[in-house]
Amino acid sequence: MTLALDAPAARKSWRVSDPMLGFLLVLPSLLLFLGLIVYPLFQAFVLSFHDVSTLTLEGEYVGLKNYEDVLGRSEFWISFGNTVIWTVGSLIGQISLGILIALLLNTQFRGRSIARGVMLMPYMLSSVVTVMIWQWMLNDLYGVVDATLMAWGVTDMPVPWLTRMPNAMITTIMIGTWKLFPFVVITILARLQTIPEQLYEAAKIDGAGPFARFLDITLPQIKSVLLFILLLRGIWDFKEFDLIFLMTGGGPQIGTQTLPLLIYKEAFGQLHLGRGAAIAILMLIIMTIMFFIYLWYYQREEKRAAQ
Amino acid sequence: MMSMVVRQSARAFRVGLVWLGIFLIAMPMLWALLTSLKPKGDTLTFPVAIWPESFTFESYSTLLFDTMFVQLFLNSVVVAVGTTLLVLIVGTLGAYGLTRFKFRGAELGAATILFTYFLPSTIIVVPIYLTINQLGLSDTLTGLVLSYTTFALPFALWMLRLFFQTLPVEIEQAARVDGASRLGLFFEIVLPQALPGIIATSLFTFIIAYNEYLFSFIFINSDAKKTLPVGINFIVKTSYEIEWNIVMAASVLMTLPVLIVIVSCQRYLLSGFGVGNTKG
Repeated sequence: MTLALDAPAARKSWRVSDPMLGFLLVLPSLLLFLGLIVYPLFQAFVLSFHDVSTLTLEGEYVGLKNYEDVLGRSEFWISFGNTVIWTVGSLIGQISLGILIALLLNTQFRGRSIARGVMLMPYMLSSVVTVMIWQWMLNDLYGVVDATLMAWGVTDMPVPWLTRMPNAMITTIMIGTWKLFPFVVITILARLQTIPEQLYEAAKIDGAGPFARFLDITLPQIKSVLLFILLLRGIWDFKEFDLIFLMTGGGPQIGTQTLPLLIYKEAFGQLHLGRGAAIAILMLIIMTIMFFIYLWYYQREEKRAAQ
Repeated sequence: MMSMVVRQSARAFRVGLVWLGIFLIAMPMLWALLTSLKPKGDTLTFPVAIWPESFTFESYSTLLFDTMFVQLFLNSVVVAVGTTLLVLIVGTLGAYGLTRFKFRGAELGAATILFTYFLPSTIIVVPIYLTINQLGLSDTLTGLVLSYTTFALPFALWMLRLFFQTLPVEIEQAARVDGASRLGLFFEIVLPQALPGIIATSLFTFIIAYNEYLFSFIFINSDAKKTLPVGINFIVKTSYEIEWNIVMAASVLMTLPVLIVIVSCQRYLLSGFGVGNTKG
C-alpha cells in the first residue's frame, strides 16, 4: 500500500508493465511449444541425416543418404500418388455429400436438432470404432452389406472390398467420406443460414427452379466457405493416418499406403528412425506449401472482410 | 388450392428425404448397436439375420467383467482429462495474452500456432519418440499427455484466440478506467464472457485426446497402461475367433462418453465449429 503513494515513476516499476504481462501469459505456452514441437522438429531435421536404429536410438551421420534412399525408390512415389488419390477422392466425396445434406437440413422441420446431432456423430467417432463397425459390415461371411447386395441380386458373390485394388482404395475413400462429411455440413449450414430469404423469394418470382436457384444464389454465396473447407480438409486429409492404417494397413501390398503410413513403416516397422525422419521432413515441406496457400487465402479474405 | 397441395407434398417429400438420408448415415451405428445386443450365435448366421431371436446384454457383461475394458477406459479418461486440463490452463492464458497485448512477436506467435495446428502427428511422432525417451517417459501416461500436447495445445490456442477476438474490448477498457487491475480483469470479466468458448474448446480437446490412436499405439507397451483405442483391438483379437457382438459392444461403450458430450453440449460444440473453423 505504501508503494502506491510513491512517485509515479516508482509506481510504474512496481506494477508489471503491460507488454511484460502479455509475455508472461504467453510464456507457459511458449515453453511447451519450444520443448514439445520446435525442438522435436529440429531433431527430426538432424535425425534425417543420420542412420539411427529405432531400438537403440544410436547411429552415425550419413549425410543425404536417407533422402537418396527414399527418393530413389518407387515406393515413396507410389505412396505419394496414393496420398493424392485418397485426398482428392475423399474431398470430392465429403464436399458433395456435405453440401447435399446441408441443403436438406436447411429447412424447418420437427426434430431438426436431433437430425443435426445424428449427422455430427460419425465425425466424433474414434477411427478405431469407425473401422471396427465397417469391417463388421463388410465382413465377407457375415457382413450385412454383402448379404443385402446378394439378396437384391446386385452380386452373387461377396465383394472383395479390401483385398483387391482398386476396391481397397475406393472402399477406404467411401468410409472416409462417411466419417468426415459432417465437418462440411456444419460449416456450410452455418453459412447457408446467413443467406437472406428474400434472394430466393425474388428468384422464385422470376421463375427460377430449385436447381437454378442453387446455381445462381446458393453456390456463389457459399463459394468462399467452400474454398476454406477445400484447403483446410485438404491439409487434414493429406495427413490422415489412423483410418487408413486400421482399415487396410496400407494393403493389398502397398495399394493404399499413403505417406503417413510409409513414415510409420520405415520408423517403427523397419526400425529406420532416420529414414522415417527424412520422409517426415519431405512431407513437412509439402504441408508447408499447402499451409502458405491457406494463409495467403485466409489473409486475403480477412482483408476483404475488413473492407 | 391446387398449388398449396403441391407445395405441401413437395415439402413432405423433402422432409422424407432428410430422414432417409439421416437413416442411411446412422445405419452403420444402428447396426453396431443391434449387433451388440445379439447373442453370439445370432451374429454368425447365414444368411444374415437382421433382427435377433432375443436381445441380451451378455456381450456387455463379458466386456465389463471378463476383459480389461474398465482399466483401459480409466487410462483413456486419465490421459484425456490430463491433456484437457494442461492445455486449457496454459492455452487460455496464452490465447488471452496473444489477443489483448501488443508485444514483439505476437503476430509471429499466431502464425506459428496456426502452422502447428496443421502439423501432422505422423511428422512429429518420429522426433517426439526420441524426446519422450530422453525424458525417461516412454511407456508412461505422463509421456502420453505431453505428446498429446503437441496437437492439443495448438488447437486450443487457435480456437481460444478466435473466441477472445470476438469479445468486445470496450467492457475491459471501461473496467480498466474504473481501476481494475489487468489480472483482476481477466478473472472477473474476461473469463466469464469467454466461458462458452472455453467449454467448447475443452470438449473438443477431450474428444480428440480420448480418440487418439497413433501416439498411444507407439509410446505405450504395457497392457495395463494402454488406452481404449489401442487396447480395444487387443481385447478383440486375443481370442481365436473374433466375436463381433463383443466388438460392437466395445464400439458402443467406447462411444458413449462422446455421445453424452455431444447430446448435452451440442450448443457449445456448434459454436465451436462456427468460430474455430469458418470465418468466411
